[in-house]
Amino acid sequence: MATTSGNIKEFYRQRKKSGVSKPSNSKISTKKSLKNAATFGSDITQPSALISHGSPDLKDDNDENEDILRKFDMNMAYGPCLGMTRLARWERARSLGLNPPEEIEGLLKAGKVRSDCLWDGRV
Amino acid sequence: MEAMEIDSQNILQRKQATYSSLDDPFEIHKETYRGQQYSQIYFARLHLMRTLLYSLAPNWKPHLPVCTILELEKDRECIIVGTLYKHMKLKPCILDEYSKERSVTPLVKPHNFMHPDDTLVLEDDSGRVKLSGSVLLPSIYVTGVVVALLGKETDAGDFLVQDVLEAGLPPQIEHPLKPREDKHVVFVSGLSVGGSTSNPLQFQLLIDHITGHLGDEKEQGIAAEIVHVVLAGNSVEFPRGLLNGQNLASKDQSRLSEPIKELDIFLTQVAASLPLDIMPGSDDPANFSLPQQPLNRCLFPGSSAYNTFRICTNPHCFEVDNIRLLGTSGQNIDDLEKYSEAKDKLEFMERTLRWRHLAPTTPNTLGCYPFVDRDPFFIDSCPHVYFVGNQDKYKTDLIKGSEGQLVRLICIPKFCDTGVAVVLNLRNLECHTLSFGTEFSS
Repeated sequence: MATTSGNIKEFYRQRKKSGVSKPSNSKISTKKSLKNAATFGSDITQPSALISHGSPDLKDDNDENEDILRKFDMNMAYGPCLGMTRLARWERARSLGLNPPEEIEGLLKAGKVRSDCLWDGRV
Repeated sequence: MEAMEIDSQNILQRKQATYSSLDDPFEIHKETYRGQQYSQIYFARLHLMRTLLYSLAPNWKPHLPVCTILELEKDRECIIVGTLYKHMKLKPCILDEYSKERSVTPLVKPHNFMHPDDTLVLEDDSGRVKLSGSVLLPSIYVTGVVVALLGKETDAGDFLVQDVLEAGLPPQIEHPLKPREDKHVVFVSGLSVGGSTSNPLQFQLLIDHITGHLGDEKEQGIAAEIVHVVLAGNSVEFPRGLLNGQNLASKDQSRLSEPIKELDIFLTQVAASLPLDIMPGSDDPANFSLPQQPLNRCLFPGSSAYNTFRICTNPHCFEVDNIRLLGTSGQNIDDLEKYSEAKDKLEFMERTLRWRHLAPTTPNTLGCYPFVDRDPFFIDSCPHVYFVGNQDKYKTDLIKGSEGQLVRLICIPKFCDTGVAVVLNLRNLECHTLSFGTEFSS
């Protein structure tokens, strides 16, 4: 049941009721995203579920703040990260005299970041 | 008829002592459980003790490098600090139930799980290394003790231990040496009120002696010097045969609560006279894992009306007249006895002090609350008196530390079996026993 052209996106145009709407230049961006697609060069077999907002959903919406916090989670000097909120772990590191960087406390208290460590709910 | 004269000058006054409770670290009502595992308490313990051992290492072996386990190099002498893990062949393992070969399990469960083939492993947050050599004896150590080791890595990949550094006795706050009057603290444990082995008459005799209802003026004078009573666990014994998973009939329900009511009646008499501390033990209606939380006030409607009645945690730390007393109801020492050996219980107690940790086998083989940011069993200030309840025999000793610390160790025997209570004189930390018998020799 192959379609000969790459028009499957046009055929099954997604209409999202809420949230962000698809950018209008989706045709151009799909061409760009195909470079990152799992099946290189072919968009027929690329399931549309993996492509949302015009780019493959492989990166888990990480911004650089989350990256810094993940490095904090993985830092062995501050002990195990699982089972504690990040802020509690930061407080513990401070009370044990480990001098954790202040910017992490700032990030955590500012909100909009995950309060639990990266493994929480996944392990 | 002569009127009876009450000679008001001869009323004996009981001596008073100041008291302060230091049980705060053992309370867990401020903690919230978020699904954490025991890795957190092990990290807190390692960090606390490692900082301490790093500060002691230069005095012990100057000019020798300290490194982490991953940084070990072959044939380079260095000091490593970590938590000991003892691999024990006979220790029951849950995985044995799933092993393919269903060998016949021995019917007799050993009381002590030691074996000549037990090996020690040192673990820190970077890695672990097997320990070899004859300096570190596996029969003495247990899993959970943090030590510093001097040695070098061998070709076989394990660490040949040349010397061990334990944390040693913690610093002690000196109490003033000026001679004071004799004041006594009475320790009792294992009353097991309501149990088959307990004799209510024996306990009543003890109470009558403490409250000054027994004897002539001289004996009452001795009793007036008692300023405090500590009940170190297992004060009550419930008829466990009733708790077989079925609904209790109403007469069984009243039978279940009889032991604690009997205990309350006894304790009201004591609390009316002098301050009393009651600690939970392994058989008491308290939580299982250490630190055991205080027994509920509602169990003691009569005694809790008195402000001299104090419910305490297990372990219990308090100060009487600025003398620091620390003790448990026995679970920590009993667990050490299962996984290591010593010539007597006092030696186990001394080891826990030298390791600066009340219960090193928690949470490995002894139940413990999964603390996240601290290890409350770490002993940061050396007590003057260290007591352990529910032991088989009365034993006591005075140990000295390298910095002049002096600790009186007391093993309190089970009262239901022996009828013995221990009396400590706060002036000179001397101990003697009070034994009560109710049998009449023919």
